[in-house]
Order: sequence, then C-alpha cells, then structure tokens
Amino acid sequence: QTATPSAQHNQVISPDKPAAELSVSSLLDMGFTDSQARHFYDSVSNVRGRRDAKQVVSTLTALFVLGLNPSSVQLALDKCPELYTVKEAQLQQRIAHLRKLGLVEGSLQRMVVHYPKILTVPVKTVKNVVQFLRQKCLFTTQQITEILRESPAVVLEGQDQLEYKFQYVYFRMGIKQAEMVRCRLFRFSLKEVRNRHAFLERRGFYQTPDKKGQTTIINPKLDSILNVDQDTFVTGVAQASLEEYDVFQRLLAREWKEKDLEQSGIKAH
Amino acid sequence: EKWAATRPKHPPTRLALQHFDATYGTELGSLWPSIRIALLSEKKYGALINVFSSDVSLAELQVQGCRDFINDGVVQTSFEGGAKNESSDVSMAKAEADGLQESPLQHSPNLQCFVFQRGDIRRFKPARPDQFGLFGYYLMDAASVLPCLALDVKDGDTVLDLCAAPGGKSLALLQTQLIRFLCANDSSVSRTKRLKQVLQSYIPKQFLTEDTLRITSFDGTMWGEIEKNAFDRVLVDVPCTTDRHSLMEDDNNIFNKSRTGERRSLPQLQLELLLAGIIAACPGGEIVYSTCTLSLNQNQSVVEQAIHLAQEQHNIHLQVVSLRPLVQMFKNTFHFAPELHLGEMVIPHLAANFGPIYLCKLRRLT
Ligand SMILES: C[S@@+](CC[C@H](N)C(=O)[O-])C[C@H]1O[C@@H](n2cnc3c(N)ncnc32)[C@H](O)[C@@H]1O
Repeated sequence: QTATPSAQHNQVISPDKPAAELSVSSLLDMGFTDSQARHFYDSVSNVRGRRDAKQVVSTLTALFVLGLNPSSVQLALDKCPELYTVKEAQLQQRIAHLRKLGLVEGSLQRMVVHYPKILTVPVKTVKNVVQFLRQKCLFTTQQITEILRESPAVVLEGQDQLEYKFQYVYFRMGIKQAEMVRCRLFRFSLKEVRNRHAFLERRGFYQTPDKKGQTTIINPKLDSILNVDQDTFVTGVAQASLEEYDVFQRLLAREWKEKDLEQSGIKAH
Repeated sequence: EKWAATRPKHPPTRLALQHFDATYGTELGSLWPSIRIALLSEKKYGALINVFSSDVSLAELQVQGCRDFINDGVVQTSFEGGAKNESSDVSMAKAEADGLQESPLQHSPNLQCFVFQRGDIRRFKPARPDQFGLFGYYLMDAASVLPCLALDVKDGDTVLDLCAAPGGKSLALLQTQLIRFLCANDSSVSRTKRLKQVLQSYIPKQFLTEDTLRITSFDGTMWGEIEKNAFDRVLVDVPCTTDRHSLMEDDNNIFNKSRTGERRSLPQLQLELLLAGIIAACPGGEIVYSTCTLSLNQNQSVVEQAIHLAQEQHNIHLQVVSLRPLVQMFKNTFHFAPELHLGEMVIPHLAANFGPIYLCKLRRLT
C-alpha cells in the first residue's frame, strides 16, 4: 500500500486504518506545537520516504507513554532516527527490561532522551553486557544500574573493548569497582583513559599499586585524571606542556598500533 | 589477566627506572618528569649524510620536511648575532670575564645531519647502499653529533677516538674530510669489528688506508703509556649507564643484578679513560669528554677529578672551554640543561627526543 506521490504530502497511510495516520494534524493532536509538528513531519518524510506510518505512530506513542513530552520526543528522534524502525513490541520489551535493571522513573526517561540509541539495542545484547559486568568485572547489581544510567553507551561498546578497559583500569591503575563507577569511567574511551594514565605514569606521577595495594608515591585520584578538561589535566595534574601531551598522544597511538600488529602477527603464526 | 602478565620480578629496566627516579629526581628536580617521559618514549634519530655516497637522497629527505640542523644552526646564529647586538655584547663580556673568549665555532660544511622538525614523529627509512655499496646516511642520535662538532677539528689534525665503536662519531669526524690521521680505538674486539664494518659501508677504500686511519682494540686507560702528547684532538666518548638503553632494553643491560660491580666502577673507568685521553693529547690540543647519561657522577664529577688529577699527577694544566656558542647555535634543535657548572647537556624532551648527551671540552695548556 504505497502512497501516490500526490498523497504523500499530507498523508501516507492505508485509508482503512485512520488510527495509524501520520499527518500534521495528527501530530498536533498528539500535543506537538505547530512548528514541532511541521519539523517533525518533514524530517520523518525525509528520512523514511516510503515509510510505514503505523510504525512511526507506534514509536511516537511508545515514547509518549514512557512519559516524554513532545520536545523530548523530537530531540530523541532527531538524535536517533533509527528508532522509527523499531517494532512497538520490541520497544516495550526493551523499556521493561531497563526498568527491571533498576532504572527508575525519571532516570529512565533522561536516559532515553540523552541516549535514545539504547532503545535500538536488543534485550539480549543488554543482558550480555550486564552479565559481563557482573561476572567478569564483579560489579554489584546496584553498580551496574548506575553504570547503565550514567554511561548507557557501554551496551554498544563491544565486549573486547570493555574487558580491555576494565582490566587496564583494574590492574594497571589499581582502581576498584566502586571508584570506577563513581568517576563514570565508562563514559571515557579506552584511548582517553590510556593516554592520560600513561602520560602520568611515564612522568613518574602514577604507580601501579603492588599486591598489598601500596605505592611509593601518592597517585592522583581517578576523578582528577578523567573528569577535568584537557588543559587542566595537562598543566595542572601532569604539570606538563600541551606540546608534550600532543606529541605523546601521537607516539602512544603508534606504539599501541604496532603492539597490536605484533600480537596479531604472533597469533597468526 | 592481560595486565597481570608474568614478568620477571626485577627486570633491569625496572631497576634502572628506580635508580634514576631516586638520583635524577634530586639532581634534576622539576626537569626530571619531562625527561623521564621522553626517555620512556620513542627516541628521534638524525640522518648523518654520507658525503661519499652518490645516493644521498637529500631531496627526498627535504621533501619529507627534514632539515639539516647543523647548517640551519649556523645560519640562524649569525643572523641573530647581527640583529641582537646587545645580547651578544653581554655574552662576550661574560666570556671575557670567564677568561674563555672563543673564536666562533667553525665546522666543515661537509657535515650534515638531517632531522624531522620539532614535534614531528615520523621516522627515517633505512639507508640504502649506492652502486658502490656505500650508504646514503647513518642513523644516530642527532645529539651525538655535538661532541664531534665541539671537537672542532681543523684541517690536517690528528685525532684519537678513544672509545670509538660502533663508530657513529668516528664516521661523523671523517665526514669533515679535514682529518689527516684518525686513530679509532675500542677495547671490545667484537665492537671494533662492527666499527670496521660501519666505516667500510660509508667510506671509499682509498680514504681508509693505513696512513690515514688506524683501528685498534686496546684498553683505552693505558693509552697514556703508549702514546703521549700526540694528538691535536681527542674524543673520549666513554662507556656509561646509557640511560635510554637501560630503561628500554632488558638485554645487555648494565642494571642487571649481575653487573652491579661493573656499574658502580663506571665513574672510575671513565676517569681513567679521560685522563688517558688528556695525556694522549698534545699541549695546546683539545679533548672532548662525552657520555649518554644524565648522571652527575659520571659527568661533571669525572671531569672535575680528571682536571685535578692531570695537574697533580701529570703536571698537565687544563682549561675548560665554554661550549656556550654551540648551545646558542643549536638551541632550536635540542633542549639543553640550564646552568651546568661544567660542560653542557642535551636533555630529552618529547618534542625533540634526542639525548641525553653530556659533553665537556678541555684544552691542554701545558
Ligand atoms: C658510548 S660507547 C662509544 C660509542 C661511539 N663513540 C660511537 O659514537 O659510536 C663506549 C665504548 O667504550 C668501549 N670501552 C669500554 N671500556 C673501554 C676501555 N677500557 N677502553 C676503550 N674502550 C672501552 C665500549 O666497548 C664501547 O664501545
């Protein structure tokens, strides 16, 4: 049931299902303002072309039911147009799963607006990540909820990358789970973490704690390493120049690239 | 598990780092962190151009954005000297006050060493042999050229390179084509072999004849007994803790537990080598002492003691020759340690990751 080009302007629907209509007026009915409805209608038309209107309406409905207001809905969908393609049942299932993981009202909505992509991720994937965080990294249920709330992108990071980052911070930096969560570690890419840590370590300002957790110097807190802008980190925490950090990041990228190549070479033999 | 990987508990590189943190942390103070990270990161090379090769890919190097730091430094300094009269007056006044008035450093235009610009981390391709089997350039720490420049060889000089293997500095000295006779010595027979190979891969046979070059494997500390008052120039590039190598390579590392005795006796060996070098120089001759360590004990202290002992035991009076003009010339390429009371030192820095090289120049007055 494809719409004819002339019909496309106003409505793109099967006439026998008026409830699934997507038109400017139906958008107005849902509570969008005039300009929102316009913007929204246009962007939907652009993105999807010959779209399944029913699908769009169900997505919108689901987001409204979740409790997002029209401008939040617009924000979420602008950020992540893929949401239009997600079946309603899946959306409901994913939302329910997130609730089960402890994302209470309020934080769930914030998460969807901030990182709408979370609703494109299959429940199975989320489950795997949660299981990984619990079993391999020994985070508590509460900590996992917080990780998801603060850094929902972990679910798409890829297990290898995640494992590497966790092990790096746990073993090389000697940081325990609680502190990782508190400092929102998972918001930062492995590369950022590694660059900053290695910079400090080679300057002599960071030591891996020994078995008893002891170091001969006082390490800066993870928070002051990650949660500061680059200038503050370089000149304040590391007491270096921006030139040095710039060169160092390039050198380190090359070092790791070559190490990876070497390792894959070893594996290949 | 990846990070708990099993490594020997006290690898020599680790011991070296602990040792350096303890000594340099105090000796170098706030300079140390920047030097430390540079030492622990990839070093930069210089490409010493081989004037004897027909395949000197200078153009290729220039296209890559490299520049010859030696001639650049000379041009730069003469320009600055003209423009800033005031400051050169000040340094002249200081030089005179120190009794060290120096003729400006001269050097052979044949000596060229290309480097990538500050902050540029690209690497040189390995050099290739030309149709005669001679390589276009020799890759070495660009700061290692400085002791050769400081030696300031003049046309017709006889030169002794007391610890010469594997031969980078000998090669640089021969590139000047000013030397009448070079004696390249190294106590290690295997390393002397390597030195021969290096020279043969860079210099045409006709320049490597017996009356222009002698390669020997003597214990350099005994040189004074072999040949006294003989050379216009003597380079004493001593074995040391080779700081960069000691931090990066566990193989052949002087911080290996089994080599503690050898390491502790380095300053004594260095002193004996420098003294031998001083004795081998002729009166009026010049000696350059150099190391690739930051250690005060192996650098300034050795020179101080050598000056003292030369006078006490051999009645040889020495003058310390200021290397300020050299520093002035090359301060855009290297980071120099500020205010050393004796000699000069290139300190590693991430953006110009050369060195460490310590050098001090002496002139025999008697
Ligand atoms: C820093 S390396 C010299 C590097 C060389 N000048 C170059 O530029 O390629 C020090 C050298 O001193 C040599 N050596 C050690 N003890 C010596 C001694 N007693 N007499 C002469 N050479 C010695 C070592 O074999 C080593 O090759």
